[in-house]
Amino acid sequence: MMQTLSFPGIPATTPLNRRFRCRAAVQSLSPATLNSSSLYEVLRVNRNASPLEIKAAYRSLAKLYHPDSAAASSSSSSSSSDGCDFIQIHNAYETLSDPSARALYDLSLGFGIGIGIGIGMTEANHNSNSPFSTPFRWETDQCW
Amino acid sequence: MCRSHIELCVCLCVCACAIAISMAQPAYTVASDSENTGEERSSAFTEIAIGIDIGTSQCSVAYWNGSEVELLKNTRNQKIMQSYVSFRDEVPTGGVSSQLAHDHEVLSGATIFNMKRLIGRVDTDPVVHATKSLPFLVQTLDIGVRPFVAALVNNAWRSTTPEEVLAIFLVELRVMAEAQLKRPIRNVVLTIPVSFSRFQLSRIERACAMAGLHVLRLMPEPTAVALLYAQQQQHTIHDNMGSGNEKVALIFNMGAGYCDVAISATAGGVSQIKALSGSAIGGEDLLQNLMRHLLPEYDTIFSGHGLDAIKSMSSLRIETQNAIHVLSTQTNVNIDVDLGNGGRVTRLLNRKEFEDVNKMIFDQCESLVRQCLHDAKVEIEDLTDVILVGGCSSIPKLRDLVKSICRREKVYEGMNPLEAAVCGAALEGAVASGISDPFGNLDLLTIQATPLSIGIQSNGNSFVPIIMRNTTVPARKDLVFTTVHDNQTEALIVVYEGDETKIQKNHLLGYFKITGIPPLPKGIPEINVCLDIDASNVLRVLAGIVIPGNQQLVAPIMEVRMPSIDDGHGWCAEALNRAYGSTLDLITVQKKTQT
Repeated sequence: MMQTLSFPGIPATTPLNRRFRCRAAVQSLSPATLNSSSLYEVLRVNRNASPLEIKAAYRSLAKLYHPDSAAASSSSSSSSSDGCDFIQIHNAYETLSDPSARALYDLSLGFGIGIGIGIGMTEANHNSNSPFSTPFRWETDQCW
Repeated sequence: MCRSHIELCVCLCVCACAIAISMAQPAYTVASDSENTGEERSSAFTEIAIGIDIGTSQCSVAYWNGSEVELLKNTRNQKIMQSYVSFRDEVPTGGVSSQLAHDHEVLSGATIFNMKRLIGRVDTDPVVHATKSLPFLVQTLDIGVRPFVAALVNNAWRSTTPEEVLAIFLVELRVMAEAQLKRPIRNVVLTIPVSFSRFQLSRIERACAMAGLHVLRLMPEPTAVALLYAQQQQHTIHDNMGSGNEKVALIFNMGAGYCDVAISATAGGVSQIKALSGSAIGGEDLLQNLMRHLLPEYDTIFSGHGLDAIKSMSSLRIETQNAIHVLSTQTNVNIDVDLGNGGRVTRLLNRKEFEDVNKMIFDQCESLVRQCLHDAKVEIEDLTDVILVGGCSSIPKLRDLVKSICRREKVYEGMNPLEAAVCGAALEGAVASGISDPFGNLDLLTIQATPLSIGIQSNGNSFVPIIMRNTTVPARKDLVFTTVHDNQTEALIVVYEGDETKIQKNHLLGYFKITGIPPLPKGIPEINVCLDIDASNVLRVLAGIVIPGNQQLVAPIMEVRMPSIDDGHGWCAEALNRAYGSTLDLITVQKKTQT
């Protein structure tokens, strides 16, 4: 299988010094950010959640995980102030809020392929060029 | 001891744009330490960023006073000040503190205004060319460098730069704010036009650094308005996260220099920017078109920037400006202006004429609104509110135009059209500084979107976008490219921002070379180019080489913060092309589908 290059997530910093960070070790992979198994779990909703529930879930998660939000910046947990998490949440929302994309995604879940999500877990995200390439692979590739 | 000077010295900005040139600083005094009272000391523990709206013609400053947003007033009790800097005296003074007797002095040639139309633009830009008919001197050599800007001082054109003018103005605003808030001001949230390129943003940041200010956020003007709207909606209905009461607003903002449109979806204090559109059209264009209509030989008379010509032009400009204001409430206006040297324009002007003369501008406004609606995938029936703000929002034609596109009788009336943007900026200043409000007034979040696509030159001379416009930020997208020649060991990554198919029409952000590609047949090595925009809107371009079947990296990843270009970048694209031709080209391997 071919693989693609992975760029690590950019480490979290406090809002005021975000601009001045210096970064080393750009080559290291950070699979730690991948800990969700389905888009529904990313948004913390049921498989049969209504579009309204999905939207509401996205909003509440955005308030918690968006790097700009007060909750994210006051929290000491690094994962919540890392933009990567929000990107993951947003991508899950993009797919699940679009009826046709959601239907396709549900179909893929039904077949148990997991559209690279399972693969992403086991193969350290090298699934960009996998035969399962679909728009949904973004959900895992975003946050290497 | 002047605190602000110390602050300047410890300015930690590592970004290239922040190599602060402290200019004209000693001429300004700020509140000293001894003026600080005990209370302010403690409240200054967490510095709350102030909001600044620097418009093409007007500006204002607002801050979060602990319970609400408050606008600052200058010594003449004005909340809205003129954006200009006069070089008439030894020490340049801006519209915040100086008191020019009347508009004629602003138009004497000694005063520079409309900086926002000039900053970060090269001399081939049509917007810069439109500025050449202003009383001060804008000289263009049309070679893609920064235009030459000068003010008339004692019959001499004294040169300056748009950044310098803006910095002088910002220093005045800062002095005003420090005197009133009795604390040093360092962090600011500035509003910017939607259509600004990242290079222009870097120039704004540079001007701020020159003024000793640190930019916490640069907020597109309509998104600042969206934030204010979100706060107002949260006030009126104490709703929870339930999206049953999601409110979708179309925000139309037109000032003197720029027209911006945004569509935001708001619920529970979270406003998601669904789409943005904008262009460098504004009241200045309406004014210039009308001046040319009233005086067809306008350009001939004025081309030489003679002293008499400046005088007659300033008379005409003032009269025309007044006429436009009158036409907002009346259908006719009498124009009678003495141009000196026997020249005189006397006539009755009606509103229809004004609208006809500016038909193109209004058409452009219409297409911006339609494009934004289209991009946001929002139906007109889904719009909860239509918000009109900015200095041009009182023009009947514009109001009718937006109302008719959105098919409604009334527009949102809950905010002051001239203060909405600065209030939103002040709210963002408080939110981004991490201030929380016991009453939940700052329980707000704006989820921003990119106004312009960003991508690289590939597939010959084409622009291949990697992050599409209206992508939610923070964002991270990548695309795989490959070599076009056998044994090609190097590749050039040239990054552009914009939505024009012709690559030259987009904004160049920077370029770098990837080296160390193993010699292989063309199409085999994969060059992965990833664009990363963080919540502070910092763009990084990462590029690395992947050889199929090889787990190891063959060369270190390149990580380049953009924009990396400097002034005179109009040259760069051509120079690169001349030096390398297509030898270092790339083509796309696969186009990632946008979800």
